[in-house]
Amino acid sequence: MKLNNTQPLEYSTEQNKINIVGFWIFLGAEIMLFATLFTAYFVYENRTGTGPTGEEIFILGPILINTFLLLTSSFTIGLAIHAMRINRKKATLAFLGITLVLGAAFLGIEIYEFMTYYHEGATLQTSGFTSSLLLTLGTHGAHVTFGLFWGLAIIQQIIKRGITPQTANKTFIFSLYWHFLDVMWIFIYSFIYLKGMM
Amino acid sequence: MKELFPIKQINGFVFSLLLTVVALSVYFMDMSYEWGMTILLITAFVQAGVQFVIFMHAGETKDRDVIFSTLFYGVFLALAAVFGSLLTLVWDMM
Amino acid sequence: MEFFERFAIPHPSPMIYASMVAIGLTVIAIIAGLTYFKKWGYLWREWLTTVDHKKIGIMYIISALLMLFRGGADAVMMRLQTSVPDNTFLDAQHYNEVFTTHGVVMIIFMAMAFIIGLMNFIVPLQIGARDVAFPRLNAISFWLYFAGAMLFNISFVIGGSPDAGWTNYYPLANNEFSPSVGVNYYNWALQISGIGTLITGINFIATILKMRAPGMKLMKMPMFTWTALITNLIIVFAFPVLTVAILMGTLDRQFATNFFTTTAGGSDMMWANLFWFWGHPEVYILILPAFGIYSEIIATFSQRNLYGYKSMVGSIVIISTLSFLVWVHHFFTMGQGALTNSIFSITTMAIAVPTGIKIFNWLLTMWKGKIRFTVPMLYSVGFIPLFTIGGVTGVMLAMASADYQYHNTMFLVAHFHNTIIPGVVFAMIAGLTYWWPKMFGFMLNEKIGKWGFWFMTIGFCFAFFPMYITGLDGQARRMYTYSEASGFGPLNMLSFFGAGLMAISFIIIVYNIYYSFRYSPRNVGDDPWNARSLEWATHNPVPEYNFAIAPQVKSSEAFWDYKKNGHQLFKGDIKDIHMPNNSGQPIIMAGLFFIFGFSFVFYIWAGVIISGIGILACLVYRSFEKDDGHHIHVQEIKETEEKFGGAKK
Repeated sequence: MKLNNTQPLEYSTEQNKINIVGFWIFLGAEIMLFATLFTAYFVYENRTGTGPTGEEIFILGPILINTFLLLTSSFTIGLAIHAMRINRKKATLAFLGITLVLGAAFLGIEIYEFMTYYHEGATLQTSGFTSSLLLTLGTHGAHVTFGLFWGLAIIQQIIKRGITPQTANKTFIFSLYWHFLDVMWIFIYSFIYLKGMM
Repeated sequence: MKELFPIKQINGFVFSLLLTVVALSVYFMDMSYEWGMTILLITAFVQAGVQFVIFMHAGETKDRDVIFSTLFYGVFLALAAVFGSLLTLVWDMM
Repeated sequence: MEFFERFAIPHPSPMIYASMVAIGLTVIAIIAGLTYFKKWGYLWREWLTTVDHKKIGIMYIISALLMLFRGGADAVMMRLQTSVPDNTFLDAQHYNEVFTTHGVVMIIFMAMAFIIGLMNFIVPLQIGARDVAFPRLNAISFWLYFAGAMLFNISFVIGGSPDAGWTNYYPLANNEFSPSVGVNYYNWALQISGIGTLITGINFIATILKMRAPGMKLMKMPMFTWTALITNLIIVFAFPVLTVAILMGTLDRQFATNFFTTTAGGSDMMWANLFWFWGHPEVYILILPAFGIYSEIIATFSQRNLYGYKSMVGSIVIISTLSFLVWVHHFFTMGQGALTNSIFSITTMAIAVPTGIKIFNWLLTMWKGKIRFTVPMLYSVGFIPLFTIGGVTGVMLAMASADYQYHNTMFLVAHFHNTIIPGVVFAMIAGLTYWWPKMFGFMLNEKIGKWGFWFMTIGFCFAFFPMYITGLDGQARRMYTYSEASGFGPLNMLSFFGAGLMAISFIIIVYNIYYSFRYSPRNVGDDPWNARSLEWATHNPVPEYNFAIAPQVKSSEAFWDYKKNGHQLFKGDIKDIHMPNNSGQPIIMAGLFFIFGFSFVFYIWAGVIISGIGILACLVYRSFEKDDGHHIHVQEIKETEEKFGGAKK
């Protein structure tokens, strides 16, 4: 295995570079996945049937808290990558841990939000609007959930194996995934919540 | 401790919080739909750009062309899907 | 007993029972055969666990040929049923099931698999790579496709086939109008194989962009590789749309949501919209690699370099973007206004321009060339006029106002078969014949192959040209019968005759494989066609590691340079080669996906949960697994090269 020491570890082998490019292409596919969900949502936005409208069910408080949590987690995982690049194992682990805690808090609040919707009569089955709203939020939430487990697996591997070309590569790719979820949340925040409450 | 918090990342974080607050103005201030959507579009896409370039290091290697092409192609098709579908199913539906 | 009642066929007939018996006997025969000849270990070690792109490609192609048989049998049944007025061979329900499975099997499980199979085998060789970027994922792609295909095919004997058309439009596909589990099968089979296809897309883009031989710039890639790159780009951006649309359909049918309903704010038109946002790019996913295959074959057998390489590349790039901007032409009559229809009418017609450029490029490649009419070349030459007819009728259909007349008639059926069969099917058979010696080390018999070609082409003309006429006369598609007074009878009989010829051609092609396997000479050399691109620079059949030394490339026809211009392909010494390890995980994971999909189809929640946990366990295992592959040592490579007749310089 050829090592290139002029670049960060996550790029140090040819396979590592290919992995990162491959993951970016996967993110291209993810853009289309969410674009489709948004397409559906925008068409269904006003097709509420007899169910509630967005304006009636959206509550600003939890949305803002969630936005702040996810933005901060995106910041902390950025710091984790920075710490990894200057080879600070403990700091890397700490920042990764904070990221996952923030992600879990986000998920908790989102579940709370879903329960509120449920009690207000906005379920997956209520109308075209609620179906597409909950599918879009649910897809994002499922991505976050998957990310939590993925992050745990990566923390475990860094503890066991240290910062090696392989673990660094995995951590970097995980960070891409996590940042991407933040980007998608920004679009949900802007074009589902704020647009709906405008 | 200091070397763990590079200034670039902190600036990026503060800037993205700022954009979030600016976007929030459409809720608190009374403005037309067009103005509100303009603000949201700008803040959301700038914020996405901040994430991609500062946090995700999209432009740091020789693969930057591939990465940016993928992103731009994805955004182009996303917009085509959204606006084409809105045109077909909402705006121009008889 | 109640548990098992759900698996019963809702509309049984003697034919289905006969098929059940036939399927059961075949499975038993295969298991018995493998056990008797003690081939289980060989099968597991060499094929089921392989991550070698060449073997995966061959498995794709074998599966695709099986699916071609299945889809072709459906086609012949349809033509038989409509060959005479008021026929009672199939009833309406069975006819619905047959045309649905024909469409899905042919597009998703036959054409896609064939194209991806050829890409798997050829692309890494054409760019001088050892394997694809992610060999393990490549195996997962194949096995997910295979799991999806099997899931779709068992619907026939367990629970009932889908019957809402391959387009699966709502509200027809909802629980009220399609009460059997057929559409659930459709959803889960397409979802599972769709994930596999998406992974293939990512894999090949990464391979082509990152693993080309030294000196091979993007504009020096062989044309088939270019088309493969663009096709995979379309796959990556189109398939997520299908994923979401099918997820919505699944939720509608199995969890009573309101996406495609006609009440409570649902919109059945959204399905058509999303389906075709995927569906139109999908046809270009199929046709672009076909264009690539023709480009390789026409250049080789005209013994000239491809005319207008840059305009070829430009036109496929333009096609890739335009293919995403035309989807509304599939439902001009759905009720959107004239503005929308005009926009999509114009974008649709615009696609004819880059396609036309390619046609002229092929013609100019042949111009003054020393043409050899081999079997692959015959298919390519046959393709050009037939495909042009399909393209012209496509422009007719693209005119939105005229489409109100053609819409939903046999004219449309004739049009898309006229593009898909000469476009994709001809290309697959041509490509398979052309690259056959690369795969297996012997040639397919030319004489039998030519018989196959003529039966195929003449059969095609008889089968589909009459449909243009009956379509313009008003015969609706997907109708299981018609009255004698309509006057459609004679032309439909002609179609049936054509379908029969095509079926014979399939038999001839399969016989040709058997015949050539028995009797073809094995010493065909490494370059039997006097070809031009890099895949012919290694041995026949290809050793595991593809190239002993990574080739140096100066142009898109590196092998031609080597043969005619004294270009040195292989510089330097043989070194140890790093190869990926085989793995049983892909097939195990795909098996779990199969159980997951099957359980979901029948609402067996225990099966869903257990297999879901199993899939996650596979992911966790893979995350923690340490697998650095293995090395093939210099000595071993040298011995292999000697066995193949010495290393090349």
